[in-house]
Amino acid sequence: MLAVSGIAPGLFQADRFPHVRETKGKSPQPLLIPPYLKTGDTIGITCPAGDITQKEIQPAIQQIESWGFKTKAGNTVGKKDFIYGGADAERLADFQQMLDDPEVKAILCARGGYGAVHIIDQLNFSPLLQTPKWIIGFSDITVLLCHIYSNLHIASIHSKMCNSFPDDWAKAEPVQVASILSIRQALSGEKMQYTAPARQQNRPGSSDGQLIGGNLKTIESIAGTSSDIDTAGKILFVEDTGEYLYSIDRMFWHLQRTGKLDRLAGLVVGGFKIKPDDPGEEFGRTVYDIVTERVKPYNYPVCFDFPVGHQKENYALKYGIPHTLLVTPGQVSLTEKTTTP
Amino acid sequence: MTTIPPYLHPGDNIAIVCPAGYMPREKAQTCIDTLEQWGYRVKIGRTLGGPSDNYFSGNDNDRLNDFQQMLDDPGVQAILCGRGGYGLSRIIDRIDFSRFLQKPKWIIGYSDITLLHAHIEANFNIATLHAPMAAAFNEGGAEAPYVQSLRQAMAGEKAAYSCPTHPFNRIGQTTAPLTGGNLALLAHLAGTPSATQTEGKILFLEDVGEYLYNIDRMLWQLKRSGQLNRLAGFVIGRFTELKDTTRPFGATVEEIVRDHIKEYNYPVCFGFPVGHDGNNLALKTSVTYTLTVASGQVSLTETKTSAG
Repeated sequence: MLAVSGIAPGLFQADRFPHVRETKGKSPQPLLIPPYLKTGDTIGITCPAGDITQKEIQPAIQQIESWGFKTKAGNTVGKKDFIYGGADAERLADFQQMLDDPEVKAILCARGGYGAVHIIDQLNFSPLLQTPKWIIGFSDITVLLCHIYSNLHIASIHSKMCNSFPDDWAKAEPVQVASILSIRQALSGEKMQYTAPARQQNRPGSSDGQLIGGNLKTIESIAGTSSDIDTAGKILFVEDTGEYLYSIDRMFWHLQRTGKLDRLAGLVVGGFKIKPDDPGEEFGRTVYDIVTERVKPYNYPVCFDFPVGHQKENYALKYGIPHTLLVTPGQVSLTEKTTTP
Repeated sequence: MTTIPPYLHPGDNIAIVCPAGYMPREKAQTCIDTLEQWGYRVKIGRTLGGPSDNYFSGNDNDRLNDFQQMLDDPGVQAILCGRGGYGLSRIIDRIDFSRFLQKPKWIIGYSDITLLHAHIEANFNIATLHAPMAAAFNEGGAEAPYVQSLRQAMAGEKAAYSCPTHPFNRIGQTTAPLTGGNLALLAHLAGTPSATQTEGKILFLEDVGEYLYNIDRMLWQLKRSGQLNRLAGFVIGRFTELKDTTRPFGATVEEIVRDHIKEYNYPVCFGFPVGHDGNNLALKTSVTYTLTVASGQVSLTETKTSAG
């Protein structure tokens, strides 16, 4: 609970904040896992947020087709409306078509950027409920992953997108290749297992929970809305890029003050690319310090520098699916559970 | 019912504390001198110009204790925050408001101090003062209309402000309680126990140094959390030192706001003097004002009967 002193009991009635812990007390809704992909299945590519050119998605198309899948590029690919991959109405229509098209078994967002929030409330997800399919992406696409998990309880994939496929596969760094190949593994139904470096700041422990999370700033930006997430009993992962340390601190306070840290099964801290402090405004705390301070009242396992985020090493995570997080002084592993409920 | 703290009289004490970022004492000297010239006594908290060597004016306990002491001190009639920055999120849930509830006093500031305004409004419905802080008194600011508006507000004079018209203004008139502050802070409070409820109120917003796309995202958050659809009126303040992405966002702040509220029909004015660029009139949150947006003029006037 939030530590609130000096306030008369009853002031913080739950019904004043219906979006906080909205599923509290409800029996958990069963998770829908879209069918894994088979050779010959089609992956749709669309731009719900930022823009991308036809040329820029070619490496992704070639690679995905080499895996034995077909691709279907939506008509937002190659569109540009300032920072967006087409006007709101165009991005909405393209994504909707991918949802509606029975041939499309997975929807790969071409890139993040900004803009998914513009169309989220206008998307009709009923076809997805009838025929679940994998939605794939991260960063700004966190809006979609959170919204779909919270409202439809359908699993998705948090991973690299088209703009991160290497132009020259032979020259790509091994972690980049492994990150891209993990998308294929996840889509094909392989059980996922990851390791992360042992860090002295990690907090040992072991726990099971559904894996949810994403870009920290994006999670904050949907708080209080219908896309907000309930993290109770979950393994939460977060990552971010280009934020000041003070802003990261403020966002972790936001997680805490919206009740998102107190009942976690575990916390997975991914990559945080820091924007340097302005001169004279040195924050004086690292991301390790910030997180350690915030999770001190709790006792679930915590790990840092997990390979998820805006860096090259960013493995596909099955969003919503139960995992086991194991943190020991010498190792960290995140393992998809073999029996999903 | 909104509680209005007692207005200030000559001889009353105004405390200056820094609950967030660091401020050297000398930068507050003109403010201190001016408040004394106005007939008040000034009580300096330990967090103004303290021994801190980092971003904050002191560690969390120092900042909390300093603020708490001034909040509890029956001899202090108002607390003027020296500056904003960042830091109230870290202590807000540890502040004990019980004595403040028994004996309300004016809490004054803006920017990060928006958190105090929102929290106090949401939980206690006690009026606070969104107003210039210590640095605004420097370089002739003490005589400018903005610091003067703080003096008038503290003394209980009813505000009657006007501002230039803007082509995007939406005509209308409404009388309702005022709420608002820094957009980034209001977005940051969504989903927390400090989030204000804007329904039936006049909302004012300002911000500084934000990317245009981020302003758009924050307005989406307010909208999607039900904070824009049932306003009585909307006052768009100053959005200054804005940044854009390498690839231009393609819309100005005014256009972004206009597009977000096109389905509603409450009165709206743009360019109201509240914000980070010095044009920052004192506004009392939770207090009832009349917003008049006409084709030739805009006014925001405190209602004469706003005592309760």
